[in-house]
Amino acid sequence: MERETILEVRDVVKTFGATRALIDVNFSVGKGTIHSLVGRNGAGKSTLVNVIAGVIRPDRGSVVFGGSEISGLSLKERQKLGIRLVTQHASIVPDLDVAENISMGLWAKNRLRMIDWKRMHERAREVMNEFGLDVDTRKSVRHLTPVDQRKVNIIRALFGGGKFVILDEPTTSLSSEDRDNLFKFVREQAEKGITFILISHYLDEILRVSDEITTVRDGLVFPNMKGDADTHDKLARVIAGEDVELVTRDADKTPSADVLLECEGVSAAFLKPTDTKVYRGEIVGYVGFPGSGAREICTMLYGLNKRQGGIVRVNGKAAEIRRVSDALKHGICYVPNDRHADGIVGIMPIDENIGLSILRDKLRSLFGLLNLSKERDIAARSVETLKIKASSIKALANSLSGGNQQKVVLAKVLACSPRLLILDEPTIGIDIKSREEIIGLIKDLTREGMGVIYLTNDYDELLRIADRVVIFNDGQIVGDMENKNLTPETIIEIRDKNERVAAE
Amino acid sequence: MSQASTTNVKIEAPGLGGDRIARKLIDNSVWVLLALGIVIFMFLSPKYFNPFNNIQLYFNIPMQASVMGVLTIGLAGTILLGDIDLSCVGMMAVSSATGVLIFKNFHIPGVMAFVIIIAVGTFLGFVNGLLIAKLKTVALIETLAMNTALTGVVLAITRGRTITVSEPEYTWLGQSKAFGTVPYLVFILMFVYIIMYVVWRKTALGRSFYAVGGNAQCARVSGINVDRTRIAAFTISGMCAGIAGIMLSSKMSSINSVFGQTYGMDIIAAAVIGGTSLQGGIGKVSGILGGVLLLNFIQVGLQVLGLDSYFVQMATGLIIMLAVVIDSLRIRFQARG
Repeated sequence: MERETILEVRDVVKTFGATRALIDVNFSVGKGTIHSLVGRNGAGKSTLVNVIAGVIRPDRGSVVFGGSEISGLSLKERQKLGIRLVTQHASIVPDLDVAENISMGLWAKNRLRMIDWKRMHERAREVMNEFGLDVDTRKSVRHLTPVDQRKVNIIRALFGGGKFVILDEPTTSLSSEDRDNLFKFVREQAEKGITFILISHYLDEILRVSDEITTVRDGLVFPNMKGDADTHDKLARVIAGEDVELVTRDADKTPSADVLLECEGVSAAFLKPTDTKVYRGEIVGYVGFPGSGAREICTMLYGLNKRQGGIVRVNGKAAEIRRVSDALKHGICYVPNDRHADGIVGIMPIDENIGLSILRDKLRSLFGLLNLSKERDIAARSVETLKIKASSIKALANSLSGGNQQKVVLAKVLACSPRLLILDEPTIGIDIKSREEIIGLIKDLTREGMGVIYLTNDYDELLRIADRVVIFNDGQIVGDMENKNLTPETIIEIRDKNERVAAE
Repeated sequence: MSQASTTNVKIEAPGLGGDRIARKLIDNSVWVLLALGIVIFMFLSPKYFNPFNNIQLYFNIPMQASVMGVLTIGLAGTILLGDIDLSCVGMMAVSSATGVLIFKNFHIPGVMAFVIIIAVGTFLGFVNGLLIAKLKTVALIETLAMNTALTGVVLAITRGRTITVSEPEYTWLGQSKAFGTVPYLVFILMFVYIIMYVVWRKTALGRSFYAVGGNAQCARVSGINVDRTRIAAFTISGMCAGIAGIMLSSKMSSINSVFGQTYGMDIIAAAVIGGTSLQGGIGKVSGILGGVLLLNFIQVGLQVLGLDSYFVQMATGLIIMLAVVIDSLRIRFQARG
């Protein structure tokens, strides 16, 4: 079936300094379709959608929308035509209620030019009905579920007359059920004639939901992949431009008998008294929603969250962990899940970021001064081993792509030579190649006896590498089993049953 | 192995050609402005500003700048954290008034008085740090309150009168020159800046300043003791205020109720002109020195030209605005990088 073309990008070139972000890009989108853009971080996806939305002006080339040339129009003028860029955080104010968020800039006004609150809420309710979202319009957005927040974000764009909506990573940190839910919603809107461009790293969902897939790699665009790359593996290969081998655990791996970490009756906020162990060289996968206790036990072990009771033992000795520096002394390290907020100092160069956790330890030299050349050495070595793509170790962390920033966080943590590494959703928003590199490296480190707690809600990934799976719900462990014959479905089933399954 | 691998990775700053030069210029804009200022003043009044005619003027600038310089570097440490210390002048006045009164009433050696002044300044800074780090008060308001209270203390101590301290034992520091050439005040300025350069660039504490100012939450997760870092920055600010108090009282041979109050805004201006970002996390000791020298040069220069003092204040304001614009350009430049 031939669809009417709504958007066409012709011969677009964009360079930033010496980097060529887009090279002769030709790309078109059919009306009422969901068109996915896939590619590694820094491949040029964001530049492309920014050119379409009018945030960035290309060096050459033109953009045609609905049959007319819009290259000369500003972001505002393009918005009037119905082009919307919906990013993850940007357009929602959490403390305002649903109606206020939706009406922002399009306030219903009364005769005195004041906001007509009553009419605004009526209108918002109509809109919610129209889009089939059942929420109270007087509720502040902060109190909605994550998936409803994302929907409100999209509805806001549509309510303002959006006809062509670019969704940049709309599903990050949603659970797989919520992702399905959100995509169903997007599909319903597409059937009403709205066109979507979707940027996401979740390949399975992309394959399921999109009408068309375009791959962006090193500034080059490869359109219409849908026919050829019809499986996860094939698509992953196209994105990386080479074969990406998915890292899996060694089937013949024999569990170590040495206990590395032992928790006895530990409790914290949102965590009931819990016993659990991590053995040397083991990767333990932790599963659980926010507030289930999975993250809470991790942050507690790292000294970010107050322990209310129980005993933590590291290598058989009781460890008193009151703050992060205590955890580091015991060789417990943590990769936080929000790398922008907790992981990197954006305005610091790479080497200084990597040195942050070892300032008073490995980098200490005469008279308490820092050993700066050692810091540079450690950083330069990490850049090599972790394949961090950067112009130099003095490049600011801000200037890196997401996957490379996460590698910097990992380098910082590994510089401490951890005995127990806690990873909190380390692969969110990271392209496949970086993801597999990170997972592969972690697996290598466990061979040398490092224990790993791997907290994630990506069950496919979890089952690929975890030796053991521990499932949390409602502040306690509801499942603890070897990773044998497990499927994502069984994990969800156990997680939701909310009963303690005997740990064998 | 590790030796070989390091050679493959570039260590110098990123950027190419024009970009790199533009960035260097923006990074060191304060020195460019200083050079520009000197050239402009040379055109306006060659008689005074030509260094070949009147080198004395250029020797006087660091001397003029010394007290303000020491105050500014202490303040800049707190700005680097993303906080601010508005009590520098108050701490300077109270610490030196305390020292001078003890010196005059108990006839202790001058050097002892200096030690007491530094101790009082350091203590006051420590109290600031404690209140801000542990009780989570907002630095802007807490230090403003502290400054108001301390100004009141000075008023109470001096009762509005001037206390003179003309004993050579006390005034040698502010009024004489080492080896008959370089004033002691300039020595102190240089000494303090060298120490601070080492602290900022080469110690764990200094690195923690940058990390906390850049992203406090990340600093905490990385194992940096954020509270202790804050307390240290404010304590250092108090210590610098004490040192500046010694310098000024010794130079003026007196303490009065408005002791040092002209510095109140100028030190913030100098820090910002010197490239310290009010957002925290960005700043260089050398830049701050440049900011102090630039501001003093302009102020002295305008006075030499015979402009009224309100023009001088207006010019200071304009320079601060220029500095703020450059600061935002710098951030935009980095975002592109």
